[in-house]
Amino acid sequence: MYYPEPIENLIINLMKLPGIGRKTATRLAFFLLNSDESYISELSRSLTDIKDKIRLCSVCYNLTEKDPCQICSDERRDRDTLCVVEEPSHMMVIEASYPNRYRYHILHGVINPLDGIGPDDIHINELKLRIEKENIKEIIVATNPNIEGNTTAHYISEILKGSQVRITRIAFGIPIGGDIIYTDSQTIKSSIENRKDL
Amino acid sequence: MPLQKDEAIVLTKKAYGESDRIVRLFTLSGGKITAIAKGGSKSQKRFMNTLEPFNHIRIEYFKKQTKTMARIENADIIESNSGIELNLKRICTASFFVEFADKLTKEGERNIELFNGLKGILDDVKNIEFTSSDIVFYLLRILGCLGFMPNFNTCVQCGRDVPDEDKVFFSRERGGILCPVCSQAIPFKSYPRGIIRGLSSFVRGDRCNGDLDFLTYAQDIMEGFISFHLDVEIKSYKLLKNLI
Repeated sequence: MYYPEPIENLIINLMKLPGIGRKTATRLAFFLLNSDESYISELSRSLTDIKDKIRLCSVCYNLTEKDPCQICSDERRDRDTLCVVEEPSHMMVIEASYPNRYRYHILHGVINPLDGIGPDDIHINELKLRIEKENIKEIIVATNPNIEGNTTAHYISEILKGSQVRITRIAFGIPIGGDIIYTDSQTIKSSIENRKDL
Repeated sequence: MPLQKDEAIVLTKKAYGESDRIVRLFTLSGGKITAIAKGGSKSQKRFMNTLEPFNHIRIEYFKKQTKTMARIENADIIESNSGIELNLKRICTASFFVEFADKLTKEGERNIELFNGLKGILDDVKNIEFTSSDIVFYLLRILGCLGFMPNFNTCVQCGRDVPDEDKVFFSRERGGILCPVCSQAIPFKSYPRGIIRGLSSFVRGDRCNGDLDFLTYAQDIMEGFISFHLDVEIKSYKLLKNLI
């Protein structure tokens, strides 16, 4: 079955979104077709805005509308510590737990040779320059605790060897609410090694 | 299909949807398989930390004959990838061999020799930093497991044994050495004496730490051979090459 060309085009474009197949795309297309004119205008403006107005902050590489971003411009934040994360969404999670405390550096990826991503493909060199320029005292490496995140963390500590900056890594262990029975040996080892005094 | 139990090496991982993960595994009994782990990115009970590249794991999975993808029910770590992440060269080396095996094998082709070879390499990478010589040595070993070993002993044109002192002509296209007579008719690249003999001793399992010249020429032979015959782009090799 073929729909008129504008509807067919919309279906094809919606199908490019992750997790959307033809059936879902068709349902969404008909929802849009039956929606108010004002909603369609609002939606199309939002779509063009994210391409026109959003850019990367020249300091931390966060997604922002103005450069430097709101976080980098915030004078209340700790100026000695920098939290290094993989993606802007990871920054948001830390920000939700520690509102207005840290400043960030977003790498936009991790070292992953299997995908051909090396240190030059993410914002690691910019991190090194920033640490020197802003006289940072500590960096908290908050990349994911998987092979790619750990490699990136080790690489950061390697390139900053010899500098005065303190490099810390987020702790690994049993998650709050987790169960020891289901925990793998590597996590158990890590949680025992990083145990705390009570 | 009944639940199958096997050992596997995790080759690659890819997030799928909200919480699922698609992984490519090289299994001991079933060769390479692609499998989906429902909840693989989030489940802390069934898959926590197991479906990560370079892990040696024990899995339970279903595979219907009509489906291309298996479904993993459970996974446990036998030997973790811990140690590979310690520096860039180690992860690039591990990635190179894993990617090489991944790209040169077909789904469902059992190859126990390759499984053991890959496992041995990953175990070694965790403990030692590979030299260029180690990389060439293991690459030849993997090529041997895959049945793509270049011929360093007899002329690929006439089949005669070539004495060590005459092993200087290598035909990338024919995948091996040429004798002085056949080299007049077939395109080749010539190498200083001792280079091909050195590679030939690697094939026999004699490891030696060749000098810089030897390694440069050996890499040239292997790169030419792989790019002509296997026609695959190994992404991790670009990074590894800058480090060796």
